[in-house]
Amino acid sequence: MSGFSKAAGRLLRADALTLFGLITLVTLLFLGIFGPWLPLGDPSRIAAGPRLGAPSAQFLFGTDELGRDFMPRVVQGIRSTFLLSAIAVTITAVIGSLLGMAAGYLGRFADQAIARGADILFAFPALVAGLLVAAVMGPGQGSAITVISIATLPLFIRVVRSVTLGIAGRGFVTAAEVAGASTLRIMLVHLLPNVMGAVMVQLTYALSIGMIIESALSFLGLGVQPPDASLGSLLRQGSSYLTIAPWMVLSSGAVLSLAIMSVNLVGDAVRDALEPLKGRPLT
Amino acid sequence: MRLVVYLLPRVLAALVTLFGVSVLVFLSLRLLPGGYADILLGPFVTAEARAIIAQRYGLDQPLVLQYLRWVWAMLGGDFGISMVTQRPVIDELLRRAPVTLQLALIALGVALAVGYPLGVLSGTRAAKTRKGRDFGRVIGAMGASVPDFVLGSVLIFVFSVWSLWFRVGGYVPFSTDPVGNLRTMLLPGFTLSVFGVALILRTTRDAVLRVMTEGHITAAVARGDPPRVIIRRHILRNAAIPVVTVVATYFGFLLGGAVIVEVLFSVPGVGLYIFNGLLNRDYAIVQAGVLLAAVVFISINMLADVLYALIDPRVGATR
Repeated sequence: MSGFSKAAGRLLRADALTLFGLITLVTLLFLGIFGPWLPLGDPSRIAAGPRLGAPSAQFLFGTDELGRDFMPRVVQGIRSTFLLSAIAVTITAVIGSLLGMAAGYLGRFADQAIARGADILFAFPALVAGLLVAAVMGPGQGSAITVISIATLPLFIRVVRSVTLGIAGRGFVTAAEVAGASTLRIMLVHLLPNVMGAVMVQLTYALSIGMIIESALSFLGLGVQPPDASLGSLLRQGSSYLTIAPWMVLSSGAVLSLAIMSVNLVGDAVRDALEPLKGRPLT
Repeated sequence: MRLVVYLLPRVLAALVTLFGVSVLVFLSLRLLPGGYADILLGPFVTAEARAIIAQRYGLDQPLVLQYLRWVWAMLGGDFGISMVTQRPVIDELLRRAPVTLQLALIALGVALAVGYPLGVLSGTRAAKTRKGRDFGRVIGAMGASVPDFVLGSVLIFVFSVWSLWFRVGGYVPFSTDPVGNLRTMLLPGFTLSVFGVALILRTTRDAVLRVMTEGHITAAVARGDPPRVIIRRHILRNAAIPVVTVVATYFGFLLGGAVIVEVLFSVPGVGLYIFNGLLNRDYAIVQAGVLLAAVVFISINMLADVLYALIDPRVGATR
């Protein structure tokens, strides 16, 4: 436990950049979760203001081509971008951890099969795989989640497998085997706590990858479909009016970039706290 | 001998991966909603027409046989016919490949030229600078966070208002008009490179930090070698190893799937072709394109393994 409290201590002594990421992330998550109940305006009310109106005190991010207030739509977008990626990445993390532990602990055939499977998934560039998945499943949230899983599953499998390989031969695992614990019990009780740190680090990376993929698919029109909005589909909507109403692209693009950056910064801090890399001065 | 022992299992693994990829791609087309006959003939199709199509494309045969025939045809260079243009898909793909290659090379060149030196600088200074002032982390975090289509959209907006020298769309081949080609290709290339800059910077920085904890660096510092010499002699080469892997993955990704940037900037490369194929429900294109992208990706990573073994004499030496 002392390792964890030390790590938590390092995380708390965060620098300005990490703090910025943390505050941004918390703010965006708050907006995303409680957005529908906040007094931000109705995202679907048509002709709430002028069509393609510029940002003003009343409409912070301007209005879209139907005169809808764009700011609550961006908040709606934050919600679905975070939610979709989080769901996809969480499912993937569970499956990937189990497969990675199985590969590292069982070895032999299971290891070969799982490692090759990860290679196969990894060989598809995410968006190209997205095109194939969209062809098979049709555009929508389901195919977005599938593509995110395809892209991030190999990350989890590889990391968890290599960590498991390092601890599978340790005394406490052997002791559990001798005591007659089942394979499942060994994996869940003895191996899982030891791979959790690595999974947490991958989780943040996977979340940012997931958000990029989700918004990219939605930008291409293959992810979230109207009238639902994700940050990517809002960018798609805005890009039709890029030259006459740039605030749509600029606001949703800035929020999306901030969201991904905050996840990355917090992820970096988590990684630095769990596995610190110390350099030395060269003089 | 060392190389053979090291590479043989990797080649075998790559072949297995290739097999798995092809099975997945094959099955995915067979799983298409409605089946191939409906897609070809539309919704109002008679049973006879369906049977004729099924017979002509061998759809009435067992799946394994269909798969083998499909692979055999591809080995002979037959990747299917585009339903829209009625031309061989492979011809169209190969015609567009140089465009995507040029885009990838521009992006990779910029990413390496900017990311690697900055990564070395940031890594060697990281021990001295206070954490919050480390420019490597700032650039790394920003570059990895702004999605290419956001950056691309902003650039298109900027250059549509102030049409400086660049142009969006209107691609011309480099061989006919080098300047005109660069006018259209530099912006998308730069857009693609930003993620690569961050990726290479971060990888290099971590690699440098890792090398700097090793004993031979401490020894060099103790000998009183000036930092410049230590960086050049002891750090650069050692830190290059993980960078090679990342660069290979990045390059494979660029070659296979610069879909969104090609769509955004109307660059007539492979990615745009596959995307249009999907929109036209021209699935032969999607199938061949996805498969070739994966093949390129696997091959590039194989090459990286070879390079890896050449740079690092330790690889494969101990067994």
